[in-house]
Amino acid sequence: MLEKGKIDSRQAVFLNITMIIATALLVVPAMTTAHANQDAWLSSVLAALLVLPIAWITVKLSSLFPGKTIIEYLEEILGRWPAKVIGFLYLFWFVHICSLMIREYGDFIVTAFMPETPLIVFHIVVVTIGAYTIKQGLEVLARTNQIFLPLILFSLVMIMSLATPEKDLNRLLPVLEASCVDIFKGSLAPLAWFGEISTFTMIIPFLKKPTEAWRIAFISILLVGFIFTLLVIGIVTTFGPSVAAMTYPVLNETRVINIAKVIERMDPVIMSVWVMGGFVKITFFYYVIVLGSAQWLKLSEYRPLTMPVGIILLALSMAIADNLLESIHFLANVWVFYAISTFELGIPLVLLIIAVIRGRGGNNN
Amino acid sequence: MAAFFKKPLRPRRVNSIKNGPYQEKKQTHHPSQSLLLSTDIDSNLNYLKAIFQDCSDVIFREFLLAQNEQIKLALIYTDGLTDKTQISEQIMRALTLEIPMVVHGEEITRANALHFIKMKGLCINQVRESQKIEEIVSAILSGETVLLVDGHSTALINDIRSWEMRAIEDSKTETVVRGPRESFVETLRTNTSMLRRKIKNPNLKIEMTKLGEVSKTDIAVAYIKGIVNQDLVTEVKSRLEKIKIDGILDSGYLEELIKDNAYSPFSTISHTDRPDRVAANLLEGRVAILVDGTPVVLTMPYIFLETIQTPEDYYEQSFFTSVIRILRIGSLIASLTLPSLYIAIISFHHEMLPTPLLLSMAAQREAVPFPVFVEAFLMEIAFEIIREAGIRLPRPVGQAVSIVAALIIGEAAVQAGLVAAATVIVVSLTAMASFTIYYSGSITIRLLRFPLMILAASLGLFGLISGITIFVVHMAGLRSFGVPYLAPVGPIITGDLKDSVVRVPWWAMNKRPYLMGQNNPQREASRLKPQPSRPKK
Repeated sequence: MLEKGKIDSRQAVFLNITMIIATALLVVPAMTTAHANQDAWLSSVLAALLVLPIAWITVKLSSLFPGKTIIEYLEEILGRWPAKVIGFLYLFWFVHICSLMIREYGDFIVTAFMPETPLIVFHIVVVTIGAYTIKQGLEVLARTNQIFLPLILFSLVMIMSLATPEKDLNRLLPVLEASCVDIFKGSLAPLAWFGEISTFTMIIPFLKKPTEAWRIAFISILLVGFIFTLLVIGIVTTFGPSVAAMTYPVLNETRVINIAKVIERMDPVIMSVWVMGGFVKITFFYYVIVLGSAQWLKLSEYRPLTMPVGIILLALSMAIADNLLESIHFLANVWVFYAISTFELGIPLVLLIIAVIRGRGGNNN
Repeated sequence: MAAFFKKPLRPRRVNSIKNGPYQEKKQTHHPSQSLLLSTDIDSNLNYLKAIFQDCSDVIFREFLLAQNEQIKLALIYTDGLTDKTQISEQIMRALTLEIPMVVHGEEITRANALHFIKMKGLCINQVRESQKIEEIVSAILSGETVLLVDGHSTALINDIRSWEMRAIEDSKTETVVRGPRESFVETLRTNTSMLRRKIKNPNLKIEMTKLGEVSKTDIAVAYIKGIVNQDLVTEVKSRLEKIKIDGILDSGYLEELIKDNAYSPFSTISHTDRPDRVAANLLEGRVAILVDGTPVVLTMPYIFLETIQTPEDYYEQSFFTSVIRILRIGSLIASLTLPSLYIAIISFHHEMLPTPLLLSMAAQREAVPFPVFVEAFLMEIAFEIIREAGIRLPRPVGQAVSIVAALIIGEAAVQAGLVAAATVIVVSLTAMASFTIYYSGSITIRLLRFPLMILAASLGLFGLISGITIFVVHMAGLRSFGVPYLAPVGPIITGDLKDSVVRVPWWAMNKRPYLMGQNNPQREASRLKPQPSRPKK
């Protein structure tokens, strides 16, 4: 097996949570509110429910082919050449997410904190640290994340509670003013992010207890849904439906904090959250690309691919959008449908059906 | 030079005489060929004298047995490592004056002299026999007294070692308010005795080896059988066995030779001069390495969180300890990041400061000619110079240095407008913070502060957080003898969190640390929570 390290169930849950929450917390609340207004929290709950089938399909497929990642078991389901094609598409998808992520990461820091520094600087830094982490393996990423995630969650809780004086629960009223269609539309953006749980399929073979995969996925989604819903409620009670017009509502939330003129200007906290969470998420996808490519090429070692993949990611992250607005527009209007319909739900569902019909996989019966 | 290479006299049973490290190394590789004594005392003496040529501290004393003047004896010992009174009284006097003539109707003859002397002559409590030259030589050098008897190819080795040594004092590096004060000394035997006094159990094993091709330093590996994971002991011993070096003068040599990650600035082996710390580590299932000639003892495995733990934490009440440990975590973070945070805020993120503070900072910095990075960097270096001077300086001038240092850093630099007062505050706070944590951790932090300052000066807060991310990733990848360095936080080990950033009371810490004490996890009985016994009805 390419990866020697094993991660335990708790580490997997932590990784899943960071992988989804890290970027979702920044731009998604605005996208959801744009459709569902003050009912955004309902959209969030709905998204958490809708993502369960995606997670189930992901885990089910993995459990049919124990010890194999999607790149490897594609071959058993589809045969050699179709598998290579779909495998390549999957790798492309991971590359796409990862470079988008890197772009989001750099965009946020440039926009909010350091407008005079070139974007590429931040991209180079994060990809370099990511490459260093990947050289050390999945275990190290999992452990690093076990340090970072509690810090991230603590910071979020702190920001939300310090902003309490500005909050008004009446801003959530009236409940269900938005139509069910709007709530559903609002839930698509979080759904696309939550659906990234399908990437979990790449690390299921490296769990200490692969049989717990479904439990891990379920608990991860539960916690992610919970955290995200609280976040949306926190933001909407502060700003009301005007959240939709903001680019980074969490940052605005941070900026309203002012307690006794001493505790104010908490922006660095959000920046730390973003840098740590973004780092883990980018590195996770970076790792998945490197590992997947090695499996696709049938190499015996994945580490030599770290540098080349890193350079591709850097180049794509610069070329993927012309500016911040374009990338946000792409994320909100194209990305959401593209992600859900194909790689998160569409292809795995078709694969599962084919696998069951053709009777492939170890424990089909 | 020719005389140096000339072959000295050789006894019959001896093939060749060579000394020097290279030959001795060859001997150790072929123990079957190790040299033996001959029965002729003169050739033995000549041989030994050739080995100890020009060693003025090795004394050869030849004399005759009182009751049978045909039998020649010789004492060989190293002056200064033996008890001279005992040699005179218990060996010389006994053998020349007091040894009985006849025992059980047997007279002393050349044939039974050795047995006779051992059983009736010597008034020494530890005597052993040996025929190997190598063993005899090493016995002499380690302070034992060797007695050669004419006509016998066996030597009697008497253990009457005694030498000057430092008295047991307070620990110099880790002081405590509450708890034992003694610290290790330079003598290995004294150190092992301190451990034995704390753990009176035959399962406390202290295995001796010798390391150093030239120095032949005694090394003891201590562990508690039944608690320690036996694989760990094997691993430690196998790492020690690989060492081939001329001399070991301090345990620091071993630390660098056996640590897991050769290029990491973080130490993955703990060192201490406190017997109570070592004993506690042994009880948790760790292994200790004691080296003769140094009071510093290594224990392993070592995890990063121990940087903020002190022996006193376990003696003081747990609430207080927990608060102090959180304080130390704060100090650890401050001593690592405070200067870089200051640089980042002043040069990139002024908006983070409240307006009145910002204004006063701006006023202070008005007269300062340097950018804040240069200023803070210079002050940090100045402080490092003072700290180094404080360690190296001869004691009598200590006062002078501290006064000059306080003047330069505190007063003059600010008044001259070279640095802002805020910079002085930041630098001194950083320095004080770094003293609150375990020394070997604090020197690493001290080192890493500088790259962080450069990152903060170039990329602001982002650079600072990225730098910390690199450190965390690096530490997450470290292992100390198989134990992840960031345990019990990364990976999270729930049970071990009881003794991490906080410490729960002793009655609740009923398991040993999971990764070290798995072998025998139960440390104490459960339900030890103290409560007054119920009144009898």
